[in-house]
Amino acid sequence: MSDAAVFDVNPAASVASESPLAACRPRVATLANAEGAGVVVRERAFLGHLILRGNAADEAFVAGVEQALGLPLPTKACGLSLAAEGTSSIQWLSPDEWLIIVPGGAEFATELRLRECLGGHFAVVNVSGGQTVLELSGTGVREVLMKSTPYDVHPASFPVGRGVGTVFAKSAALVRRVGEERWELVIRRSFADYLYRWLLDAAEEFGVHIAD
Amino acid sequence: MSQRNRLAKGGRIDRGRPLQFSFNGVSYEGFVGDTLASALLANGVDVVNRSFKYSRPRGIVAAGAEEPNAILQLGATEAGQVPNVRATQQALYRGLVSSSTNGWPNVERDLMGVVGEMGGKFMPPGFYYKTFMAPAAMWPKYEKYIRKAAGLGRAPRENDPDIYDHINRHCDVLVIGAGPAGLAAALVAGRSGARVIVCDEQEEMGGSLLDSRESIDGRPAAHWVGKVLDELAAMPEVLLLPRTTANGYHDHNFVTLHERRTEHLADTAPPAQGRRQVRARMHRVRAGRVVLATGTHERPLVYAGNDVPGNMVAGAISTYIHRYAVVPGQRLVLSTANDHAYRAALDWHDAGREVVAIVDARDNPGGDLAAEARNRGIRIVTGSAVIEARGKKRVSAALVAAIDVEGFAVRGTADALACDTIASSGGYSPVVHLAAHSGVRPEWRDDILGFVPGKVAGLLPAGGVNGRAALAQALADGTEAAASALAELGAQAASITLPEIRSVREDKAVALFQVPHPKPAMRAPKQFVDQQNDVTAGGIELATREGFESIEHVKRYTGMGFGTDQGKLANINGMAIAARCLGQTIPETGTTVFRPNYTPITFGAIAGRHCRELFDPRRYTAMHSWHVANGAKLEEVGQWMRPWYYPRGNESMSEAVQRECRAVREGVGILDASTLGKIEIQGKDAREFLNRIYTNAWTKLGVGKCRYGLMCKDDGMVMDDGVTACLGDNHFHMTTTTGGAAAVLDWLELWHQTEWPELEVYFNSVTDHWAAMAINGPHARKLLAELTDIDLANDQFGFMDWRSGTVAGVPARVFRISFTGELSYEINVQANHALHVWKALFEKGEKYGLTPYGTETMHVLRAEKGFIIVGQDTDGSVTPEDLGMQWCVGYKKPYSWIGRRALSRPDTQREDRKQLVGLKPLEPALVLEEGAQIVLEKELRIPMPMFGHVTSSYYSPTLGHGFALALLKGGGQRMGQTVYLPMADGQVHAATVVEPVFYDPEGSRQNV
Repeated sequence: MSDAAVFDVNPAASVASESPLAACRPRVATLANAEGAGVVVRERAFLGHLILRGNAADEAFVAGVEQALGLPLPTKACGLSLAAEGTSSIQWLSPDEWLIIVPGGAEFATELRLRECLGGHFAVVNVSGGQTVLELSGTGVREVLMKSTPYDVHPASFPVGRGVGTVFAKSAALVRRVGEERWELVIRRSFADYLYRWLLDAAEEFGVHIAD
Repeated sequence: MSQRNRLAKGGRIDRGRPLQFSFNGVSYEGFVGDTLASALLANGVDVVNRSFKYSRPRGIVAAGAEEPNAILQLGATEAGQVPNVRATQQALYRGLVSSSTNGWPNVERDLMGVVGEMGGKFMPPGFYYKTFMAPAAMWPKYEKYIRKAAGLGRAPRENDPDIYDHINRHCDVLVIGAGPAGLAAALVAGRSGARVIVCDEQEEMGGSLLDSRESIDGRPAAHWVGKVLDELAAMPEVLLLPRTTANGYHDHNFVTLHERRTEHLADTAPPAQGRRQVRARMHRVRAGRVVLATGTHERPLVYAGNDVPGNMVAGAISTYIHRYAVVPGQRLVLSTANDHAYRAALDWHDAGREVVAIVDARDNPGGDLAAEARNRGIRIVTGSAVIEARGKKRVSAALVAAIDVEGFAVRGTADALACDTIASSGGYSPVVHLAAHSGVRPEWRDDILGFVPGKVAGLLPAGGVNGRAALAQALADGTEAAASALAELGAQAASITLPEIRSVREDKAVALFQVPHPKPAMRAPKQFVDQQNDVTAGGIELATREGFESIEHVKRYTGMGFGTDQGKLANINGMAIAARCLGQTIPETGTTVFRPNYTPITFGAIAGRHCRELFDPRRYTAMHSWHVANGAKLEEVGQWMRPWYYPRGNESMSEAVQRECRAVREGVGILDASTLGKIEIQGKDAREFLNRIYTNAWTKLGVGKCRYGLMCKDDGMVMDDGVTACLGDNHFHMTTTTGGAAAVLDWLELWHQTEWPELEVYFNSVTDHWAAMAINGPHARKLLAELTDIDLANDQFGFMDWRSGTVAGVPARVFRISFTGELSYEINVQANHALHVWKALFEKGEKYGLTPYGTETMHVLRAEKGFIIVGQDTDGSVTPEDLGMQWCVGYKKPYSWIGRRALSRPDTQREDRKQLVGLKPLEPALVLEEGAQIVLEKELRIPMPMFGHVTSSYYSPTLGHGFALALLKGGGQRMGQTVYLPMADGQVHAATVVEPVFYDPEGSRQNV
């Protein structure tokens, strides 16, 4: 849509950047390395996050998204399309709303490509500064999630390739199962400090390691 | 330290692992596997407490959650204090320190006991209310001593060092209670592959099987328990939760379980693998089906002196003997109305102690257990009951007499049997509490003389709670309940072969609750119904005579069923007595309402990890670390932590705010404005949507322009405001108040989805994506010019325009809007880059005296300009016209907008509505109190007509005096009038009504 403003918010030359967790110093005893840790937490900072809105019943829209991204648009509730190399994903958020995650810096080009491939009524919004991703792995992760969300994270109800938006502690998060033992949380910038503290506190009893 | 009541062998305790503990300062020894109660009984401790009201000595009565007396204080340290622990449910651990919760100065020599003894007769229900009524002023004095003498345990005075937790669980079948019915149900559900949770409140699973005389498949019942638990533990989808009480049954099979994880180990949780352990955990279980296998509580009989230590429920005796190898006395008299209780006498006899007599209310008991007792030569007195227990700190004799159950009378004379223990059994009450939490009342069944759960969808009672207590029945019932549960879930149940049980024939029980006494209940020695609350049969009789007919009223008048045991032993007896006094049946009388929690629960488990720094989310902006490093004092704005002011050196708040205000008016200041709500609006109907949702018009707003908008609810009252910028013809950037961000987005979605789905428009929150910093003041342009490629000339980039470009090398949208009335630029950048830009502004800003300012200065500066804050200057009853903002209302817009119709009502047109005005105190230095009421007369009278209130009030260093905004009835017509503000301390302030814009009314400063 030519009458929407597009704007590349990333600086041409590199400047100092801070993830939402840059200043967070949780008061939890952590393990120095992953060995023996029941939970390993790693922030995947500075990725490109776009919100896509559109009509899933419109075949041209669905085809346009796939053409632009090379990933199928999940049209079923809680669907999550993951690129084989793990760099990009599309997550169903609501019947007309998806989260697209691409490598950091690629979000503007992705937005332009989407606008090129799509017609009619749709919206693309860059939210990269507003959220971050935490990757969780280890044998204790499922219990940490159970402490945090009322959503059922049992494998029967939460297979790999599922993503849900849910209450998380007293805030909210997108919870994604990206591998057998690997989960991701997409959290809002302003709540990131609280959620990170919560997560490490909940993970402490399993032994928690923060990975780079 | 002899354990004189401990048997040499048997029990489920580990004699190789002795444990030292103390009770009321005396050291004792018990064993691993003991409860505190079994260890006290083993050591021959008779008196564990003094009673609540009469201060009578009390001993241990039961062996489980129903125990009314053994409510103790635990804790070796101050921080580890735990009040009101039931000794019967507390596992013994090394070094356990316990004491009575009642009794002053102590349980053995109790002061109130004298009062109770002398005045007992004269302390009917309502005694304290009736006696200490007058004079009213004395009540606090009376209360102090009454509370000291009565009352239960105390809370720790130090912080709890432990951590607590919540966990959400989902399962197909939740089995509550791991007795025979529960284990059979779990086995069926587990073998069927279902997701199963089994919880049981005791230290060990197995329930009644652990103290049973019966055998399963030819071996002791406890052997079968071990086998089943091993099988269940090996199933990956089965979770066994011992020491876990199902405390609340809520709608849709949502059940809260309280797991005590370390309370059997120590006062406070010991570390495990060097890490802190969770002391107690609340499991929030969402279950497909719930199998309720909570069993029964044995009812004691209500006879005179039945509270003297040494009186126990019959089943508890079997429990103490079988599980803990403790025989709590030497010479037993059993008083029963049923066959099942005979096991207590047989177990006692097996232990080699004397059974003085079994006293049976029935004329001709003929079941298998009675036959066995006869074979052993135990004396059985039929058609009789223990009508009175004698003794003070321990039973010394039982008065036994023939009774007429139907006629509620004693026949003939009583015979005194010397003994030290009286066991009684009036029958078995199904533990219906959880089912009753649903609101469905229990139903009376004459055949079992008890209430069973009413029908609750999704809840399947099994075993004793379902009126099928006999072992073979319970096992079968559990199996069937699990099969039904699975069938209701659409799953196939695995078949199991029920183990072989030799059935025990039991004769019919007789309905006996209160035992008659030669004297009427009011004159007989006290017959206790509720020992924890000192409620007697006479008290209930008196209550019914005083006109309390509803069982709920009887409960509240007498106190029956209150307290930490919630009347688990008392309620049914009390209802039966009330029914008899009222001349009605038990089902006609009904039960009181059972509410969560089933047993008391520590506050820690309720709070979980929602405490300390995790009590509530705190939201931070991208520049937060800078604010902290630069000494900002923070203010909570909703969940946001915002800089309030930045004191320098020893500055007071008022000095800091005045300095910050002057910096903005005279130089340049900067505010972190990132918390404002931001919503991206895209779609070809975006503009039309704005026309409908805002009061003002948006049709002509061009790309590159911004406009202030007011939003009303459908009642015409202001709900939010903010600036919206046109980014592209079909693309807008809306800002909202900090607190209103989520509500406004919901509001937009609501109207779009429900009323105007035909409009092609999408809304997305970008609040967190953009960080915003507002530079304000005469030097703002010069400062920004040093860092940007945007042409800042006033004719190129005017007031209420926005432009994009770079600031400090970072792409930015810059909005020329002003909340201070000064020349102002609000710089928006992607939040990850924001701290870099913020710091760059300070590098270049030093020479202009760039001053960070917080919310307080922002408030002063905007109020000087008469700019409202929604929620502070408005309260949901204020229209745009009340605010004097007619200029922001587009009455001529072709399509209606939200609030328009309401604004045409006569009430919103009234001239005497409360309207926004300015107030200038006559005393220049005075800052009026926010919230102060406005009146028109200086002299107070009653009633005093009130005309409005102060909404915002500050001292303005720019104006040199205090000033305020206020809502005042007919305010627009009162310019120049003097109004008065009476204060709580008696002072009356005076102020002149002025226009609400105090500074630069022409708006020239922001337009330069």
